Amino acid sequence: MNVALETRSLSKSFGSLAATRNVSLAFAQGTRTAIIGPNGAGKTTFFNLLAGNLRPDGGAILLGERDVTRLDLAERARLGIARSFQRNNLFPEQTVRENLALACALQAGQTSIFWRAMGTLRAVHERADAIAERVGLTDVRFETVRRLSYGTQRQLEVGLALACDPKVLLLDEPTAGMSPEETARMRALVGNLPAGLTMVIIEHDMDIVMDIADRIIVLDYGSVLVQGSPAEIRSSDIVRERYLGERSAAHLSGGAA
Amino acid sequence: MTRHMLRRSIGVALLIGALVANRFAGFFAQDLIAEAAILAIFALSLDLLATSGLVSFGHAGLLGVGGYIFGGLTVLLGLPPALGVLAAVAGGLAVAFVVGLFAVRTTGAFFIMVTLAVAEMFFAWAFRSRMFNGADGMGGVPRLDLTSIGVDLNDPAAFALGAVLLCAVIWALLELVVASPFGRTLDAIRQNAGRVSALGGRVFAYRLAAFTVSGGVAALAGALKVQHTNFLSPDLASWFASGDVLIAVVIGGIGTLVGGMLGAAALVLLKDVLSGMVGHWYLFLGAIFITVAIAMPQGLVGSLLNYWDARRARTAKGPEGEGA
Repeated sequence: MNVALETRSLSKSFGSLAATRNVSLAFAQGTRTAIIGPNGAGKTTFFNLLAGNLRPDGGAILLGERDVTRLDLAERARLGIARSFQRNNLFPEQTVRENLALACALQAGQTSIFWRAMGTLRAVHERADAIAERVGLTDVRFETVRRLSYGTQRQLEVGLALACDPKVLLLDEPTAGMSPEETARMRALVGNLPAGLTMVIIEHDMDIVMDIADRIIVLDYGSVLVQGSPAEIRSSDIVRERYLGERSAAHLSGGAA
Repeated sequence: MTRHMLRRSIGVALLIGALVANRFAGFFAQDLIAEAAILAIFALSLDLLATSGLVSFGHAGLLGVGGYIFGGLTVLLGLPPALGVLAAVAGGLAVAFVVGLFAVRTTGAFFIMVTLAVAEMFFAWAFRSRMFNGADGMGGVPRLDLTSIGVDLNDPAAFALGAVLLCAVIWALLELVVASPFGRTLDAIRQNAGRVSALGGRVFAYRLAAFTVSGGVAALAGALKVQHTNFLSPDLASWFASGDVLIAVVIGGIGTLVGGMLGAAALVLLKDVLSGMVGHWYLFLGAIFITVAIAMPQGLVGSLLNYWDARRARTAKGPEGEGA
């Protein structure tokens, strides 16, 4: 199978703290990978390295055949790596539709147009509306983002990443802070992504992880502790011991979050 | 009426007011109208840059570039003023592009320091330049010759009319730019530059473009200013001049375009009124600005627009109008 994204001996330290240690992973095209691990395991740092928010100290990142290690965030986004953020990272003064339309216009390379109004870009707004529909924001399209609830803003967070029309989608805790209904909707959304899209998700809700992932990677102290199918992870002693700790193993097999 | 309609209405009212006043005003008032219109153009250039989230404290450097190019070509080389205006704009674009290549890599206080430093370098050069008569400055700067179409710009009423009309054209063009996909991207960069990068936008390129265009407009204002006073001096590029235009934009409402024009008109009028009344008039001017800044943190136009939005939101979500 084609490898969409690959890391080779990726490392990053903050002072004496090794946040990512020698991580070599491959993400095959169209696969759904979940990254789990305790707080401080280096999950978000790993995402920041993949997306280009951070430069690694060592190692390489390949998008398909191409080495993107030295490319910045924007260059990688244009090549097809899109991400959502753990904390909402939006354009708060604009409406949901304006947020999405801007992302679509950037994706379509139409943001150097300075001689006619944004509203005249019809294709861009049609795409923005389609994405609003997909992430369940059609009803609040014309609301200013800062007036929306946190959970609704989370939906837009994922919507902006989708607007980039990515090859690789990195979702950083998309359901964090969401109500049960919003979580259910996000779960359906993430479960129904196009088949060719490669997705990597950081998620604490084990129901969602077990439901949508075809592979789970457990990070601990910046390195890969173990990886495998949901069934393998569920039965792994090392995961029970290191990651679950005092949390019940029943949690993994589908207990309440 | 939406926020943007109200904003644009204020701009149109302001320009019509200036045209009407110019029709009935005397010589001194026409002089003030021209001064305000030129400062308004300068303020528009600064506010375009502010749309991308960058606030310059050396914008008068670009005003000076325009003034000195115009003065140099017309007075020293005897070239036609029309050519001087075109060269000033081209020079402003070029200088801003080159300065922007390193300046727009910084933001916030660092950007303020870089722009201030560059403007001070230009000021220091102009201050000592033998060619331009150094600190004493140079008189005899001619105005654009429009006698071929029957307009004598040496007539104060005609010059003020021309300045106001040019201000209207610049404003209309910048309104177009700000509403375009390019302008919306600048505004998105101001709100959240990191996310624009994550969406694939080259933040540096957009800011450089904004700074370059801003430099062209500022240089145009500089070429007008030296025509208005018929005089070229290093004061054009002093940090005082940078401060004045910044005050005009902040008091009027940063990021609203119209606010900069209103602020420029208020600044010119207040200066004239206060300096006729008291000796240390800058003290009183400062007190007025501090009062406005505290009472209306978004500036005159910005605060009015926010008030307007809040009122509209309240009426839309009234007791029975929840779904509106």
